[in-house]
Amino acid sequence: MSKTDPDEIDPLLKARLRAELNAVRPPSSLPRYATAGPPIRAWRLAPVALAIAFTGILALTAFAATGSPNPAVWTNRVETVINPPSPSSAPESESTGEPRIGSPAAPTHRPTAEPSEQPEPANTPEPTESTEPAQSPEPSDDHQSPSPSPSSPPSADH
Amino acid sequence: MPDDFRPGSREDFDRLYRVAYPRVYRTLTALLSDPAAAEDCAQDAFVQAFHAWSRWRPEAPAEAWIHRIAVNRAISYRRSAKLRSVGEVLRRLGRPAPAPDPADHALRSDLLDALRALPPKLAAAIVLRHVHGYNNREIAAALGVSERTVGTRLRQAAERLRHALEPFSLEAPSAFQADSSEFHVKD
Repeated sequence: MSKTDPDEIDPLLKARLRAELNAVRPPSSLPRYATAGPPIRAWRLAPVALAIAFTGILALTAFAATGSPNPAVWTNRVETVINPPSPSSAPESESTGEPRIGSPAAPTHRPTAEPSEQPEPANTPEPTESTEPAQSPEPSDDHQSPSPSPSSPPSADH
Repeated sequence: MPDDFRPGSREDFDRLYRVAYPRVYRTLTALLSDPAAAEDCAQDAFVQAFHAWSRWRPEAPAEAWIHRIAVNRAISYRRSAKLRSVGEVLRRLGRPAPAPDPADHALRSDLLDALRALPPKLAAAIVLRHVHGYNNREIAAALGVSERTVGTRLRQAAERLRHALEPFSLEAPSAFQADSSEFHVKD
């Protein structure tokens, strides 16, 4: 048998191949394309992707503004920005509980050293001019060491 | 088959399905050992072709175009089947394999087994040529390769089939060798 076609195969093999495959019966089922819906296009997911991206950007902005990842802090910050606290609601109201109106800023004018009306007694003994003779600390023959009075001044010779 | 389909026409696509589906299914049966997988891939190919029907160009035959989609589906299925088989073996470790389906027995033959053992691109070429009667140009359009590649694949496929089927000779050998010393009794 001369083969004119280089791609031709053995006639017996060809006949057997045709017989075996043509004997295969395809299942009789409805075509799937008849009930298949349109393919899901990527652009249909665009609104969802946009919403997620927008939420993420908001969260990042809030985190950057407040420095806290806690959403409660973000909410509090938003409320503070929208409704800033009024200056009259300062927490300096004391016993009367009444808000001061135009109270002088007394504390800020107070000098660091308070000018006390009554000078506080100093702990250190002050040099007073007492009429009592000062007991000189000069050595004496008297062995009795004079008991120093609390107000004994130091030697004036210094 | 007259190729006078109109791209985007639902009636023409239905007609194409009626004509081409059996042939596409038979082609996939030659590539896949599982008839259910062949049906799955064939149906998926038509779904994909239906969605792209309006973009089909009449430069290549419509049936060849669908064959290309179907063969690619079958190739993908065979690739993933290898991975599934490894997973299946791991899952069944120690347990016996399930009994083969008797209905599949009718589709099993040494020729079909040898065909399915070929690389899918070679098997597709030989089926399209020698079963469906495509010429090399149509096969090139169906498989997305050059005509020269088609010729190479046909020769390789034929060679491999011949070697695979040698133990099962196509011609039945004579039971007894004829001996010249024998003489027949003449009436």
